[in-house]
Amino acid sequence: MIELLNVSKHFGVDIHAVNDVSLTINNGDIYGIIGFSGAGKSTLVRCINLLERPDSGQVIIDGVDMMKLKPQELYKARTKIGMIFQQFNLMPSRTVLGNIAYPLKNMTREQIHSRVKDLLSLVEIPDKINAYPSELSGGQKQRVAIARALANDPNILLCDEATSALDPQTTGSILQLLKDLNKKLGLTIVVITHEMEVVKQICRKAAVMDAGKIIESGDVFEIFSNPKHQVTKNFVRTTSNLSKIETLIRDDSPMVKLKPGELMARLVYIHADVSEPLISYASRTFDIEINIILADVEIVAGAMVGGTVVIFNGPRDRINKAIEYYKSKDIRVEVIADAGITA
Amino acid sequence: MQELLPNLMRRLPEFWKACGDTLLMEVWAGAIVFVFGLIFGIILTVTKPGGIMQNTGIYQVLDKIINLFRSIPFIILLTALMPLSRFIMGTAIYVRGVIVPLVFGATPFFSRQIESALAQTDKGLVEAALSMGSSPMEVIFRVYLRESLAPIIRAITITIISLLGLTAMAGAVGAGGLGDFAIRYGHDRNMIDITWVVVIVLVLGVSLVQWLGEYFARKNTH
Repeated sequence: MIELLNVSKHFGVDIHAVNDVSLTINNGDIYGIIGFSGAGKSTLVRCINLLERPDSGQVIIDGVDMMKLKPQELYKARTKIGMIFQQFNLMPSRTVLGNIAYPLKNMTREQIHSRVKDLLSLVEIPDKINAYPSELSGGQKQRVAIARALANDPNILLCDEATSALDPQTTGSILQLLKDLNKKLGLTIVVITHEMEVVKQICRKAAVMDAGKIIESGDVFEIFSNPKHQVTKNFVRTTSNLSKIETLIRDDSPMVKLKPGELMARLVYIHADVSEPLISYASRTFDIEINIILADVEIVAGAMVGGTVVIFNGPRDRINKAIEYYKSKDIRVEVIADAGITA
Repeated sequence: MQELLPNLMRRLPEFWKACGDTLLMEVWAGAIVFVFGLIFGIILTVTKPGGIMQNTGIYQVLDKIINLFRSIPFIILLTALMPLSRFIMGTAIYVRGVIVPLVFGATPFFSRQIESALAQTDKGLVEAALSMGSSPMEVIFRVYLRESLAPIIRAITITIISLLGLTAMAGAVGAGGLGDFAIRYGHDRNMIDITWVVVIVLVLGVSLVQWLGEYFARKNTH
């Protein structure tokens, strides 16, 4: 278990990179820390393995107070906390074998060779053992970096923007690998990212960071379906098609031109269960037209999140009844535009 | 040969001795400069602000001392260090007497070269090594020195060549060597052929060092 208690780290006098952060990450979790660049998330993750020593607060890993360790003990503790980076940080003068062998100690040549081979098949690039990093693609480099980080059987893997330098397809395959490793090895994974997509794909829990503080944390599904803080809302919006409606309105698209009596609203599903035929049921029951302009439903942490943008057309009292019905079903209704009641 | 290089051919033994003296100065001073420069360059790198063994006191003192010695013209250093030379080497003349000023003249230069070679090491590699549990000493030997082998070889090349320039001046305190040979005969007695031969020998020497340096640097770049 990783426990950060009131951790603060300042650079210079007035830059509070991390400001009084408390965080608990359970064993076996995949925990996301998301924030825009400069939010302090990279500094925060470096406080876990003390690459950055906090100015105040406590860092406790599996009951051990990291800040109280002597240098030699700290070096040893770090071998049990793997870390991978955005720029991979492989040593260019060493082959894949040399890179992965770097953290291995007190082993014979044969033992090292077989350990490296095992690690390479774990990260699914068994035939690259003698290649130099410059001969590998980005995704392969990150796989070697993961193998190197896992060389000493760590319990924790810290990922600092590990997929930010990769294309979307490679990102997907690396995330899948991390997910598999989490399952196979029971590895606790901490993922630092500015991409909501990454959190959505692999994290079970997440914290949103802004200006050195954690402003929201909890289950990923909860954060996605019901963001409370403005920064979180912005993040969620970056991944949702529903925000495109604002662009359409700004561009005065004919698609969103309302006729008199019409009302445009965003319906957001907050509940995990969206299997009911909500649109057609309301349309039939209240005898109104419901025109779907945009729809976006996604799978987050194994549950559905999303909604639709619709235009209601019909007598206003019946539209209001439909909206009441949706609210009773735990669907958030945000009126975007209202053309007023028909004369 | 006799006709083409009349003055040189009459002084061949002296010429060979001059070559040998230059080589002797280069090797002895070079070896000592290498050791001290490497150590100082590493100390500068790790103690500077943001370094892995940050120590403002040590860094500032070393930094200023190096600047001090780099700003003293070598010809002044040669004479100013005579007492120290006598103390350490027992004499202030001949090849023995010039090793101390050569070391003082070239070490600051080489330290800076090493500092800038090590500065080319990606900070991310250092961070990765620390995250894998490397101690600062391990980072120095297994990351800094290993990963900047090519720039270090280039730094050695440049320093050997600049040291060659300094040995030429060492003739001023009676150390002998090719520079001294060229001044005494080529310049003072207007024996043009000697000047030319010395220049050609030095050009060949510099080219060889440069070529070897580039060869090994390339071999260590992946």
